[in-house]
Amino acid sequence: MNQIWIIAKLEMRRAFFSRRALWVYLLALFPAVLFFGHGISVQYRRSEYAGKPVTPAAVLDRIPVGTPDTEVLATAGQPITDRKWRRRDLDRRSLQYFDGSNRIWLEFENGALKSRNRRTLNSFDEDSKVYAGVFQFFYLRLAVFFGCLGIFINLFRGEMIDKSLHYWFLAPVRREILLLGKYCAGLIASAVIFGGGALLSFSALLSYQSSADLQGYLQTDAFYHGTWYILSAMLGCVGYGSVFLAAGLLLRNPIIPALVMLLWESINGFLPELLQKLSVLHYLQSICPVAPPLDPNVPPLMRMILAPAAPTSAWAAILGLLAVTALVLYAASRTVRRLEINYGTE
Amino acid sequence: MSDDQILFHNVSKFYGDVLGVNKVDLRIPPGITSLVGPNGSGKTTLMNLMTGLVHPGSGSISVRGVSPFAPEKLMRIVGYATQYDAAPRGVTGFGFVLAGLLLHGFPRAEAERRAALAIETVALTHASSRKIAAYSKGMRQRIRLAQAIAHEPEVLVLDEPLNGLDPLVRAETIALFRDYAARGRHVILSSHVLQEVDVFSDQVILIANGMIVAEGEIRNVRDEIHEHPSQFLLHCQQPSRVAALLFEQAEVLAVKIDPEGRGVLVTTRHRDAFAAAVQRIALSGIEIDGVLPMDENVDALYEYLIGGGK
Amino acid sequence: MAVFKRGYERYNGPLTGSATRFLAVPRFVWPKLLGQRFVVILLVLSLFWPLLCAGFVYVSNHADLLPSLGSGGDDGIRKMLSIDGKFFAIFMNVQSTFAILLAAIAGPGLIAPDLANNALPLYFARPLSRWSYIGARMMVLFGILSLVTLVPGLFVFIMQASLASTAWLQANWFLGQGMVLGFLLYIVMVSLIALTCSAYVKWRVVAGALVLAFFFVLAGASQIINQVLRVEWGSLLNPGYAIYAVWCALLGVEAAEDAPGAWESFTVLLLMLAALLAVLLRKLRPVEVVS
Repeated sequence: MNQIWIIAKLEMRRAFFSRRALWVYLLALFPAVLFFGHGISVQYRRSEYAGKPVTPAAVLDRIPVGTPDTEVLATAGQPITDRKWRRRDLDRRSLQYFDGSNRIWLEFENGALKSRNRRTLNSFDEDSKVYAGVFQFFYLRLAVFFGCLGIFINLFRGEMIDKSLHYWFLAPVRREILLLGKYCAGLIASAVIFGGGALLSFSALLSYQSSADLQGYLQTDAFYHGTWYILSAMLGCVGYGSVFLAAGLLLRNPIIPALVMLLWESINGFLPELLQKLSVLHYLQSICPVAPPLDPNVPPLMRMILAPAAPTSAWAAILGLLAVTALVLYAASRTVRRLEINYGTE
Repeated sequence: MSDDQILFHNVSKFYGDVLGVNKVDLRIPPGITSLVGPNGSGKTTLMNLMTGLVHPGSGSISVRGVSPFAPEKLMRIVGYATQYDAAPRGVTGFGFVLAGLLLHGFPRAEAERRAALAIETVALTHASSRKIAAYSKGMRQRIRLAQAIAHEPEVLVLDEPLNGLDPLVRAETIALFRDYAARGRHVILSSHVLQEVDVFSDQVILIANGMIVAEGEIRNVRDEIHEHPSQFLLHCQQPSRVAALLFEQAEVLAVKIDPEGRGVLVTTRHRDAFAAAVQRIALSGIEIDGVLPMDENVDALYEYLIGGGK
Repeated sequence: MAVFKRGYERYNGPLTGSATRFLAVPRFVWPKLLGQRFVVILLVLSLFWPLLCAGFVYVSNHADLLPSLGSGGDDGIRKMLSIDGKFFAIFMNVQSTFAILLAAIAGPGLIAPDLANNALPLYFARPLSRWSYIGARMMVLFGILSLVTLVPGLFVFIMQASLASTAWLQANWFLGQGMVLGFLLYIVMVSLIALTCSAYVKWRVVAGALVLAFFFVLAGASQIINQVLRVEWGSLLNPGYAIYAVWCALLGVEAAEDAPGAWESFTVLLLMLAALLAVLLRKLRPVEVVS
């Protein structure tokens, strides 16, 4: 244990503080920065709309489609904004009203009301769903994936390319212990970075909610949701980390398995239920507390054939991930025992 | 006794289709042993094999009774300064040596003390806080040596350890090797500077094309090579007369007057018979000041065995 | 003995013209790339979609053979089988994925090893300028990416043109032109991204990951900007979207109304290409940097 910790400590410094790791921080902190930015804009908007004239929603809802714009103006009064433009040979106009909590846009084509769009100044439910989507489709699928790719492949393959792996092999340490030490270093670094990133972005999400929403959430699901988000980010590091560590040991170009894995995880939703369960993402999504809206990247035709598998129970998902990780690490430890220093082929 | 020896038994190693070493049988006793051979002859492969960095395709290796497949035991008694010039990214000289010692399990204070001592031994104390990336080639060589000796190993393996060292440090380094050897430890090194190896080696292993050509003490190796005659220089005042007398001896193949006027150059296949003949000539009243073997250095062996490969 | 006394002579044979000298680089790299297993696998896989599309083109031009569509036919199905801008936009979109994968495998090995081994001074010591070096490396990718984009695209278009009436060709020649222009822009973009990644990090492996991350992470990042900030301009940060918007304009396909248009996308693409080129030129300095 002592040796594992010594190796992990030596490696962690590199994983946390090297200049190469900067982009990993960027990936981890990007959602948090976005949510903080959004929070600032929401607060700005709240103060901006505080003094705007209020038009009751009922008045706007009563206006039927096809009503001329002049009539709408007469019924609803002066809008907050009035925008006119021409596109595809059509005169377009957009009138914006405010009902006290929602912004309502009335869209006109050639002077007749065509549609109305409503958007709240801020909706916690909507934000919570957006966060779930960001977390599952960006954070787990891309940020944790590529972050772990960078951190864990660096542990062995990076040192082979740097021609410095032999220093570890010349230490009085069993190769399996070395592997575990390096894995722990990568895991601690990635779990802290991505777990911390999840915590920060979750805090950012809560930072700008109205006090009523916030109180309600804190008294019900906040702790549960936050914990599972952080835990699933960390478990992502556990699963992806072991795979990339092994890929870095087994293959001279670990980008190939990374590519295959990325594609596999991306098409996961389109696969039969049994195959869907053969992916890290499935288990991570299973323990995410809020179901996200459908991936916005998916084209409409594809949405029709999407058939997400029923989520695995949280504990089964965790145990499954840990079991797969243990298996992969066992295979990697057998490989590292036979590994030779032959930098000439790098 | 194999517990104080390094043993190679029928060891072969191929890198794909390329031969590393082939059917090597070696028994290396404590002392300074030099591996000599042209580039690509298999010296580094032998060193990597005995330290477990590469594994033999066939055969077995034992380093003072420890298998290279057990690095946790082997590396406690072995220190290896490789030829690879790279060092871990962003690490200082002191940090580099210290990391190795921490991995050996030394408590931090003791590890720091040993690291400082090892660095002092290689005369790098002044640069120990600088990053290795900023070191010169010679300094990198020395810091690797410091890491190899920091835990006081019983077997010191050094791949071309004298490359890039200035004369003063070189002399100190050689003194360090001698000190190690004098304490019954192994010092195994490879070098292209043949004269240096000749001066301080107890044993030499000549290797060419992945095969051991000769091994043992330089003199013994020389003796074993019967197909190549030995050459001696007889310092004497009357070279013409000595030459005439020597011509009469059956064991002498050729005699010629040394062009530099030091005496007579004699070529013979039978060293013992030649020694007896010289004794007879001396007893007959002709003054002979000394007999100097002319080809008993590694250079000459190298020439004989490997053939102009230096 | 001095070298000149041994009778060495300056080479007096014909020299390749300076304009075409850079072609020597792709000439040696192409066979090496085509010898790589994964490149070949990807090339083979990339043929399936064009073959499927070719089959679709055949069926759409022989709709009468389908019993349900005989004389009079179902207009809805006929419309679905029609070969138009949308068909080529979908074709290009799918095929472009293979180009990214190929670039991620073939691209990183083009510059990173030269930088890692300090080989650039060797190239620049010969009569190759930085621009011709970049041109040579781009040419390597141009050739290999054309195999999965331009070549199958033209094959499908020519097949459609030959099966359909002359009237179709007269009315839709712009589809062929749009596809060629669109793919050319795409190849330049993907090649520059791959080369810049290869020059930015000296490790091949990391450069490969960076190429993938460039496309996938930017696509994800642009989506979450749109989602979190409730805006549409985030799509412009996604090179995949930006190029698709330009393709749609070239093929006369209506893009989504609330998303950024073709001109905005084209401007962003040009800015991105300029930035990539600037990074590439900065990295390819003919000096040996020893840290």
